[in-house]
Amino acid sequence: MSNIAAQRIQREFNEVIKSDEAQKFSIKLEMDGSDFRHINGEIAGPPDTPYESGNFKLEIKIPDTYPFNPPKVKFLTKIWHPNVSSVTGAICLDILKDQWAAAMTLRVVLLSLQALLAAAEPDDPQDAVVANQYKENRALFTSTARYWTTVHAGGKQLNPDFDKKIHTLLDLGVEKHQALVALSACDWNLDRALEQIFS
Amino acid sequence: MSDDDMGGSGDEDYYNDYYSDGHDPDVETLDKTLQDPEYFEFQCLTDTEVERFINERVEELSTSIQVTPSLAKVLLLMCQWNLSEIVSSYRADAHRLLIQCQVKPSMPANNNNTSMVSANLVSATNTSNRSTTNTPFPSNVGLMSSTSMEKAGDCVTLCSSSSKSECSSRDVVCGSNAIIQQESDVKECCCPVCLCAMKPSESSQLSCCHRFCNSCWSTYFDVEITQGITTRIECMSSHCEVLAPEDFVVPLLPRTRVREKYHQFAFADYVRSHPELRFCPGPNCTIVVRAKDNKPKRVICEACNTQFCFACGCDYHLPTSCETIRRWLTKCADDSETANYISAHTKDCPKCHICIEKNGGCNHMQCYNCKHEFCWMCLGCWRSHGSEYYECSRYKENPNIAHESVHAQAREALKKYLHYYERWENHSKSLKLECQTLNAIRTRIHAKVMAGTGTWIDWQYLLDAATLLARCRYTLQNTYPFAYFLAPGPRKDLFEYQQAQLEAEIENLSWKIERAEMTDRGDLENQMDIVEKRRTTLLTDFQP
Repeated sequence: MSNIAAQRIQREFNEVIKSDEAQKFSIKLEMDGSDFRHINGEIAGPPDTPYESGNFKLEIKIPDTYPFNPPKVKFLTKIWHPNVSSVTGAICLDILKDQWAAAMTLRVVLLSLQALLAAAEPDDPQDAVVANQYKENRALFTSTARYWTTVHAGGKQLNPDFDKKIHTLLDLGVEKHQALVALSACDWNLDRALEQIFS
Repeated sequence: MSDDDMGGSGDEDYYNDYYSDGHDPDVETLDKTLQDPEYFEFQCLTDTEVERFINERVEELSTSIQVTPSLAKVLLLMCQWNLSEIVSSYRADAHRLLIQCQVKPSMPANNNNTSMVSANLVSATNTSNRSTTNTPFPSNVGLMSSTSMEKAGDCVTLCSSSSKSECSSRDVVCGSNAIIQQESDVKECCCPVCLCAMKPSESSQLSCCHRFCNSCWSTYFDVEITQGITTRIECMSSHCEVLAPEDFVVPLLPRTRVREKYHQFAFADYVRSHPELRFCPGPNCTIVVRAKDNKPKRVICEACNTQFCFACGCDYHLPTSCETIRRWLTKCADDSETANYISAHTKDCPKCHICIEKNGGCNHMQCYNCKHEFCWMCLGCWRSHGSEYYECSRYKENPNIAHESVHAQAREALKKYLHYYERWENHSKSLKLECQTLNAIRTRIHAKVMAGTGTWIDWQYLLDAATLLARCRYTLQNTYPFAYFLAPGPRKDLFEYQQAQLEAEIENLSWKIERAEMTDRGDLENQMDIVEKRRTTLLTDFQP
């Protein structure tokens, strides 16, 4: 069975490398050493989204039963998105679960993830806190997601207001990522974030 | 099943037995359903009988709308075995039904998934001209006629394995669209899964015309079957929901072990999807119970004696409904830690404060130290329980709760839950203890018969009483989840009144059974009758 897997991965690599998207640096695949079971992927944040100009690294694990079972994919780059866990990077996407079909490829997976960044599905959330913010306060969600892109994925949009709040927490001895998570989860309300961290 | 001949041995039965030699079946059934709210008709079937039952249905559908048994199985499974509905919607709009049941693709088929590997395919030539089907397709035929208007001679294939095909040009009809593929084109195409070149003779497709090589199909089936998926295996193409029927899957399974597994899992799927069938939940029991009505009634397995609710397959739970008991059990699982802490196994005697461990099922306690009689549940004096109004089972809500703080409300909610949980748990323990009492009675009867005091038949009433007690306490136990979720109001008041009455009579019976040697037989049998009547009344009044 892993014979088909190896063969498929080899071909899919070539497919991705030759694809238009790869030429435009929008998707990328890299083998982790010589083991085809561990692949690193990368997708560019789609334009006109809070993820624009960010590059998001993915961990792709190929099961022995590939392509009859889906690859296991998660975000390595921290991301603020309703369908991705802000803690573990786990992804909630139908084609990585029951909607997977053997005829799908890694290219399809990468493009679908890119599409997911452009169109979140808050009613089927992976991260309830993020999904709630997405639904209740869309503007704040957008600026938070954009800030995370800048901090973790090399995005270029700055936000001095958020920076200031982070620094306030850093001065109190809070670790940087912890400060970011707490403030993002508490709608950037300093008092609530402080309560969450120190309670 | 034979509840009816236990308790209510009224005068009428006696009268009937005495005066009529044969019994009237009409009167019998009428009596059973009216007198016993728990009466339920069911059969226990062995797997061969179930297989025959299923095959009969399949056969019936397959002959009435002219489809292969394999396709009939898909339709029955997808439509919950509602044969008449399938036939009528098939006659009305066969195409729609087949799409609904994932036999045909919802979109007109095209071979876009092969374009990925840049196969040189002249694909999808749509034609509404059905005359393309006039070369009969020599492979397995799923539908014998695709619409009722069509002549019987026309063939529509739902799945085809071209290994059987000898034709040089192939016609495959999908729904109303015919796709013509020249074999020379198919030859050059790659399997979209393994990306290797595939010969048409070694590849197959479902009605959606997504073609894959046979070796990929078999590996795919192997993976799916290992995961327990059999009747719901979909086409390998992306977003294609067409199901692979049995006669497509089985020939492509290379190993007999996998084939056996397929049949075994598929059989389980058929039983689970059938509203009239339910597997006996008993350990290692292969019996399937069949009942015409899918109701939350008690069934007892003939093979292993397991009792369960026919509708949900869990422990029998009347008068509580399936949904309520599920909520209750989830709640109990969540809150059990607190409850465990509260419901300790011992209590102190309210009068002399000696530590008492409950050793019988009866809640009417008598301290062996000071002879004080009290209720195990509320620790109140038993004398107040003997009167006509037994209040111990009723939870008194704090009337000012709406004005209290959130914390107080939470405490009150927990208190309410614990009130019901303690009683539920206590009756469950009592049931276990009374099981021991039953065994003790058996030994005592044996000893008495050996010693020559009466025959075995003389003492039989004691066993009957213990069995009845268990049944009544079981119902009583299941009244607590019902009461917990019942909204306050006159209905709840009535329910709790009846529950209290039942509880009082049950404790009375339990007390008498534990002291059977001192109790008069007539007295005991009278008590049995009262308890069973109370139980039947409650069940009749509060059917879910």
